[in-house]
Amino acid sequence: MRKHQLETPQHEKFRRGKRPIGTSVLKKSRTQYVWLNVLPDDLWLKVRQGETVWGALKREGVELESDCGGLGKCGKCKVRVLSSIGPPSKEEEELLDEEELKQGIRLACRTEVDKDFVIHTEETDFEAEYFQILKTGHRPFFHTQPLINKRLITLPPDLLDEGISEMDRIKMVMVPEYQDLVAPIHCLRTLPERLDATDYHGAAVLHENSLLAWQDWEEVDCHFGLVYDLGTSTLVGKLISLIDGSEVAVVSCLNSQMKYGSNVISRLKYLQDHANGLERFHNLLINDLNRITTRLLKAANLQPNDVFIAVAAGNTTMQHFLLTLDPSGIAEAPFSPVLTDGLIVGAAAVGLELHPEALCYVMPTKSGYIGGDLISVILTSGAWEQEDEIILGLDLGTNGEIFLGNHKRLLTCSAAAGPALEGATISHGMIAKAGAIEGVSVEADNVSYQIIGNIKPKGVCGSGLVDLVAVLLHCGYINHEGLLRPPRKNRIESLDSKMIKRAGVYEFLIASAEESYSSRPMYLTQKDIRELQLAKAAVAAGIQILMNDMGIVTEDIKHVYLAGALGNYVDPLSAIRTGLIPRFNPEIVTSLGNAASTGASMALLSKNYWRMANELSDFIEHVELSSRLDFNEFFVENMDFPKGNIW
Amino acid sequence: MGEYKALNGAVLKGDINTATAEMQKAIDADKNVQDIIDNGLIAAMDEVGERFSKGLLFVPQMLRAAKTMQECMKLIEPLLQKGDVTPKGKVLIGTVRGDLHDIGKNLVSMMMESAGFMITDLGVDVPPEKFVQKAQEVEPDIVAMSALLSTTMPAMPQTIEALGKAGLRAKVKVMIGGAPVTENYAHEIRADAYASDAGSAVSKAKKLLGIS
Repeated sequence: MRKHQLETPQHEKFRRGKRPIGTSVLKKSRTQYVWLNVLPDDLWLKVRQGETVWGALKREGVELESDCGGLGKCGKCKVRVLSSIGPPSKEEEELLDEEELKQGIRLACRTEVDKDFVIHTEETDFEAEYFQILKTGHRPFFHTQPLINKRLITLPPDLLDEGISEMDRIKMVMVPEYQDLVAPIHCLRTLPERLDATDYHGAAVLHENSLLAWQDWEEVDCHFGLVYDLGTSTLVGKLISLIDGSEVAVVSCLNSQMKYGSNVISRLKYLQDHANGLERFHNLLINDLNRITTRLLKAANLQPNDVFIAVAAGNTTMQHFLLTLDPSGIAEAPFSPVLTDGLIVGAAAVGLELHPEALCYVMPTKSGYIGGDLISVILTSGAWEQEDEIILGLDLGTNGEIFLGNHKRLLTCSAAAGPALEGATISHGMIAKAGAIEGVSVEADNVSYQIIGNIKPKGVCGSGLVDLVAVLLHCGYINHEGLLRPPRKNRIESLDSKMIKRAGVYEFLIASAEESYSSRPMYLTQKDIRELQLAKAAVAAGIQILMNDMGIVTEDIKHVYLAGALGNYVDPLSAIRTGLIPRFNPEIVTSLGNAASTGASMALLSKNYWRMANELSDFIEHVELSSRLDFNEFFVENMDFPKGNIW
Repeated sequence: MGEYKALNGAVLKGDINTATAEMQKAIDADKNVQDIIDNGLIAAMDEVGERFSKGLLFVPQMLRAAKTMQECMKLIEPLLQKGDVTPKGKVLIGTVRGDLHDIGKNLVSMMMESAGFMITDLGVDVPPEKFVQKAQEVEPDIVAMSALLSTTMPAMPQTIEALGKAGLRAKVKVMIGGAPVTENYAHEIRADAYASDAGSAVSKAKKLLGIS
């Protein structure tokens, strides 16, 4: 009856997901680093294992109250630790009362960060919650060749008297590579002064054949870029070192457009009804991105002027909002966007507060519903570089975007899974944030939940819903048609007691009034199961159509990659048990983490990947499911659950 | 109704073999044709609709039940004289302009057909003009519209307006449905009824036409 063989404790999962890849800094030193997530600002700090919370926060400029300066005497530097934590220190026992200790309140100066940790710096602010947003992903190893270069240049003094223009002198040193060097007006205006100030020995900031700035030579090592993942519900920003490719800081926030609707369709609807809607969405987005940027820069002690490049990836609609392009065409068949090509624009032109000459790369898309985010996911998966083995990838959120194939052929589609997989339309559903049940297992006939933040449950998020239904299917409390009722045989007492019948229909008691956060009982209803059936049938039908068009069967697929809000956290066994994905060997199913931002950072770090992304957008084929007659057939076929148990 | 218990049960389960065998038995026993249809088949489909509304059965089961009913009807059709069975009403149905979703709409059609309505299905992405043109042609009692996207919902009032301009509004009842559609929205755009699912669509339609 033990479910998850692959199950790991919550903090392990957390840790695994957040470990940055390809950080050469880590390789050089023996020091172990862990992540410290600081709420409510949602700062992500890379901290030496064993460092105190106090030390880490002080280094990053986060103010805490204190009279004693971190000696463990005043008891004022209180933080609330949301992760599981060991017993309090002697000082803490003396300075904090029992109730505080029970709530996880600790002293920052006495708390060592020994594993990935979430803390809250304002104990009174119970409203701010920890959102579980995917931030770090795995990416393949590659040679970095960033979109922006910095080069140390010394102009020889013997040229000083010959009356050649400053630009020509720079070119002469940089031939043959930069013989067509140009410079934007802002750079030219400050050039004489900058050359003088640096004594003709400085760092040239270069983008293609353009000189963006002439900096002090020490600044050659201050070389960073930004990536933005423009999610419909969440925005994630990352500060990336362009020298070694490491992730320096990660910040995320809820998309401020959420109050105008939680999905793309409702945003488009808002545009239909409001003349100034596009401008409003653009401004909200830019404000969010600038706020994220400020925090990222602060974490690394940088100024906006230090950053010359950002890469943005999102669904087609969000990318249109960034560029203030009208995405209304995406709302109705035939779903035409304004632009699908990758675009390079001035960051200032879209409103990003970076260096005045900074550039913003916006990922190419394929169509109205196959966005720059999926192209980034494909980049991350390496599917396009794969010659033989066939790869299936799923970016699971409100829309299930799917790709299948390899370098020979790549098919994509977007299956309207509906919001159920993100917890919406479910009676006690919620998005993945503190209090959400994100995992369910049955052990010794007892149901147990993994809850984000380890507090009383407030609801069920997508991965929790899939897990719960998988467990109930496994135990026979949901039949293959999706009917919730106690089985005829092999009944389990602890489950029986949670089956409640109302007007002839059963509901499953997830948590009683005493067990739940709101002191109200939480149920999984028959209708919730129907919503999940619709969602998973849409995804499964999408997979089936791509497999049919490709002329392959399940066994031909060698790797399955999951990404997106649900994809990264859903248990592969539960995904298979519910029929969300076909019956693969669970070992070939792996999570890609936040693959959208990983793909964007690959483009940032390598011109080659940016070029590849643009080629990909031409190369991939888009299968429009809504115009496919066989889609309905597969959709209905996949509504039932698979019959056999798999663990 | 107890008389057709086995037939009812087989239709409800979507068991085509048992249902057609029971159907043949009833025909061989010389039962009244209308009685077999009403109490043997339609009664079972009513139950299917009710269970669907409660969530006790789902789309695949509903489709199988409807398929079973169709197979049973095939046995009885050769015996029907013209005028033996009068349709409960005529329904013109379609998914509105810009919207390509058709499963929900198909389920409604099927359930209505199973309940004895005569259906004209215009398919998906149906512009208001087409609703009007076809309404003039088939003179339906009910025009039923489906929309699955909040962005395509405005095509519903547009269609109602077009029906009005063509002088048809008073002659037909308008029903609407689809995931983002609500009872309130139906009031707002002056539709005559809203149905939340294929099961309740049938009872709403009957109510609109004053059929029990």
